[in-house]
Amino acid sequence: MLKQTSMLTALLLTLGAISPSHAQTPEERGLEIATAAKQRDSGWEHMTADMEMILRNRAGKESTRKITNRQLEVQGDGDKSLSLFLEPGDVAGTAMLTFSHGLDPDDQWLYLPSIKRVKRISSKNKSGPFMGSEFAFEDLGSREIEKFTYKLVGEEACGDGYECYVLEQYPQYEDSGYTKQVAWIDKEHYRNIKVDYYDRKDSLLKTLEFMDYQEYAGGYWRADRFEMTNHQTGKSTTLNWHDYDFETDLDEGDFNENALKRLF
Amino acid sequence: MRRVAALVALLASAPALALDTGLTVELEARHTIGDPDDPSKIDSDPGIGVEAEFRHRFNDGDSQFNFTPFGRWSSRDEARRHADIRELYLLHVENEWEFLAGASRVFWGKAESNHLVDIVNQTDALEGFDGEDKLGQPMLRVSRSFDSSTATLFVLPGFREREFLDQEDPLALPFPVDNDPLYESSDGNDHVDAALRFSGYRGFLDYGLSWFHGTSRDPDYVPGANGEMRPFYPLIDQFGIDLQLTMEAWLWKLETIRRTFDEEDRDYTAAVGGFEYTIFGLADGAFDLGLLAEYNYDSRDDRGQVALQDDLFLATRFGFTDIASSELLAGVFYDLEDDSRSFRVEGNRRVFGDARLSLELQLFTNVAPGNIAYHLRDSDFIRLALEWFF
Repeated sequence: MLKQTSMLTALLLTLGAISPSHAQTPEERGLEIATAAKQRDSGWEHMTADMEMILRNRAGKESTRKITNRQLEVQGDGDKSLSLFLEPGDVAGTAMLTFSHGLDPDDQWLYLPSIKRVKRISSKNKSGPFMGSEFAFEDLGSREIEKFTYKLVGEEACGDGYECYVLEQYPQYEDSGYTKQVAWIDKEHYRNIKVDYYDRKDSLLKTLEFMDYQEYAGGYWRADRFEMTNHQTGKSTTLNWHDYDFETDLDEGDFNENALKRLF
Repeated sequence: MRRVAALVALLASAPALALDTGLTVELEARHTIGDPDDPSKIDSDPGIGVEAEFRHRFNDGDSQFNFTPFGRWSSRDEARRHADIRELYLLHVENEWEFLAGASRVFWGKAESNHLVDIVNQTDALEGFDGEDKLGQPMLRVSRSFDSSTATLFVLPGFREREFLDQEDPLALPFPVDNDPLYESSDGNDHVDAALRFSGYRGFLDYGLSWFHGTSRDPDYVPGANGEMRPFYPLIDQFGIDLQLTMEAWLWKLETIRRTFDEEDRDYTAAVGGFEYTIFGLADGAFDLGLLAEYNYDSRDDRGQVALQDDLFLATRFGFTDIASSELLAGVFYDLEDDSRSFRVEGNRRVFGDARLSLELQLFTNVAPGNIAYHLRDSDFIRLALEWFF
């Protein structure tokens, strides 16, 4: 499946490169760019990373959460992920297992360490805030091409001197809190540099900026810092990422109920 | 005790022992807001609970050691001055296999109002009124994971007796207990129990099948000396099924058990089933509202013997999306046979950055004579607890 997809993508990209560009609609160009971005970020197989989340209210008062993450790339479906909450202390040991499925609802389980209970939970809450932050669950989910339709609306400089594509992305999955996202993607490495989120009334709600990109083993780029600003409430959230590791020995067996219970 | 000493010696000799530690300190105060006829009942009972956790990972993370002692000191109810080893185990993972030896806690089941299927651990009856606190159970556990399921075998040596509140405690049983229990098994509390569980998921279905053979965790009471009652622990077999369908915002839940005894006329079936429906992002995303309804059935059909035999549980759950992660669950248990009603509220929120404030309110609004909870009719209480995590 992977090979077929990559060959098809390669073929499409080649065709795109050799066919005259005026033959393509902005939608086709958008899909092509999104596909190329996904292509560049495929094949990492598994990874771990630690995340520090700093929540800031309008007055600038901060509170911090710490989460350690592991992810498994799944070909032909959404990725699997396990998140273990370390701070604040009242949620230490709580863990979440997610099998994402593109347009279909994700499968999600929550582990409550105080009573050692694993609960399957509804994944319908896509637009709800993640741990009281400015990130919604859908902002942190597995990135799959079919979750959006795309439209290239421009090309301009962005971020720290990057040359960027400007892409409109329309959510195709149910229960999104957005009418659209506008993403700035750098032309050299196809990395997200900035995303504007528009709420259901189509007003600008949030901006996410990706900072301090590093290249990891296998040529995968990850930003060390995410800055999410809510323009409507004045609140913001920073994610600081540490200890990215793409050379783990994780496999399917590290993403099940037993693994969820023994994480901490 | 000797075994513990040997284990500690073994661990102390392990090179480069790096322990992860956690400590929870809880200040609690329970106050009776009912008006008991009996003036000897304790009306207010402040106390402190401490749980420490020592964790160590070795063998590249494939092996784990965990030691979680717990202790409670209560100012009035002396029975609640107690300690327990919640966890003391070695765990090892070998590919899809997981092995555990030691004391641990296990939760089985899906429902909210009643945990019928959950049977491995003895309830810590000196702790929460809801019965969700459990004593550490000695066990050998072998588990194998498959693609979307897990099979687990338990060997359970060393029975844990239930402990009982002082008679002066408003939540105590309506009779004095002589805690020198009787056992149906000729091996007494040395009977080795066994359990099997197979659980997994398929699409929107989560399922569990379980079987237990051994000494019941729930005692019967037989007359003893001096007007006291003695706990009697029968031998049982219990087969259980627990199911959950997760369909968008709906969770449909069912648990059912068949418990069999040596005396066949004591065999019974019980079930709890219902739903939880959540409306996400109300009041501009300020909170999620859950609506819960569960029905409890028990074939013994005896409201004087069984708490939830023909009872409806209706509740609302508020999950606030604020920085304090406030939660509130308010529900009513309604006995359809005798109209007895009790209200229960559980809430908590984060305070001082990373401490937790919890509230528990239990009101026995209307308990009919002959109901198993009749002796609690004046035992309404409120409990506040503040926990710090280090």
